[in-house]
Amino acid sequence: MQTFEFYTPKTISGALEYLSDKGNRCKIIAGGTDVIPALRREEVRPSHVMNILEIEQLRGVSEEKDSIRIGPATTFTEITHSDILKRHLPLLIEAASQVGAPPIRNRGTIGGNIGNASPAADVLPAVIALDGELELQSKSLGVRILPAGKAVEAAYKTCFGADELLTGILIRKLPGGTRCAFCKLGRRNAMARSYMSLSVVLNAGKDGAISDVRIVPGAVEAVARRVAAAENVFIGKKVQASLIDKAAETLAGDLVGVWIPEYKMPVLRSVFRHVLGRVL
Amino acid sequence: MTPMNEKTILRMKVNGRPVEVAVKPTWTLLRVLREELRLTGTKKGCEQGDCGACVVIMNGKTVNSCLVLALQAESKEIETIEGLGTEDNLHPLQKSFIEHGAVQCGFCTPGMLMSSKVLLQENPKPAQEEIKVAISGNLCRCTGYTKIIKAIEAASLKR
Repeated sequence: MQTFEFYTPKTISGALEYLSDKGNRCKIIAGGTDVIPALRREEVRPSHVMNILEIEQLRGVSEEKDSIRIGPATTFTEITHSDILKRHLPLLIEAASQVGAPPIRNRGTIGGNIGNASPAADVLPAVIALDGELELQSKSLGVRILPAGKAVEAAYKTCFGADELLTGILIRKLPGGTRCAFCKLGRRNAMARSYMSLSVVLNAGKDGAISDVRIVPGAVEAVARRVAAAENVFIGKKVQASLIDKAAETLAGDLVGVWIPEYKMPVLRSVFRHVLGRVL
Repeated sequence: MTPMNEKTILRMKVNGRPVEVAVKPTWTLLRVLREELRLTGTKKGCEQGDCGACVVIMNGKTVNSCLVLALQAESKEIETIEGLGTEDNLHPLQKSFIEHGAVQCGFCTPGMLMSSKVLLQENPKPAQEEIKVAISGNLCRCTGYTKIIKAIEAASLKR
């Protein structure tokens, strides 16, 4: 591991000050579950490392009237135990509770899952499915709000500026009657990188017609996104089994390519049916 | 701020005792425990958070000590296997592991015991599935896990 200057700010302003000067050669570390292996493999060789785990304002889950705010340094374990999230955003708990194993979940953070921008990230696709927004701060640009779906440019590359710090994940509360489900496939039941995941958020009105649906596969493309073609199969229609099959085919058709070879298609269709079965 | 190539004094508590040790910024907590404090009960396995041989308890939660930079442990309370029990005074979990044949080569055992300890503190009567989740971050190549799970279950029933 190449040596570095190590800094632990106690405040957001301290962190922003450091990044404004050293951001272009600084790696931000929170739980370290992605960063430390990368440092050890010398995939990254920063001359400066900034530890954000001691900034209290970056931790915790809080509730406002219409939205939930999650600090980026909130661990997956803290997310799993949050009463606010149990009540309002259980999809995030479903995703966070399946990352790695308990010692990883006790350190890994939601901000890290987003910032690392792995194609196999589990929590980021769920945040995208929930229409989450990211609050970024820097001395040069001030506060900037970015839709979560726009955070990642390419595998392992966010669009965050070198002097920018992720300071909040903001998710609007879901309307009553919204159903969500998450499924992750990996090589094992735990300690497994995602081979394929699916986050679905769906709302059917009182007449049973689907008014809103969000489908975000994970680990099937370099950059996770909502698959509008599959979503559009459902809008305005009532729930029925034939729709699920049609949407599954549309989803598979939309995704096939470099990242998801033909042989994974039956699995994707099957996962899709399974998850849809849980929300319909 | 720790400049490159220089050491900083790290202050933390280990097994109830305050400790001061000079560390380089690139060192992990695992390295400090094993090489600086000579607490070699915690094992070095994969060094990337996949095997759990390095699991210790930090501020009440299990962590892979290979994934904690030493300086991130500043002011934290660390518990290692050395603090769990002594030869003359084994912890009930250690007794149960021995009684149930849950130790073969012993390499995974310290990490398994730390994960089990936290489990029983948070969930005194866990179901078998909950035991499996609690040790899902600890790999064992010898036992096939059955005896480990039995040993934890038995220890929970004895309380």
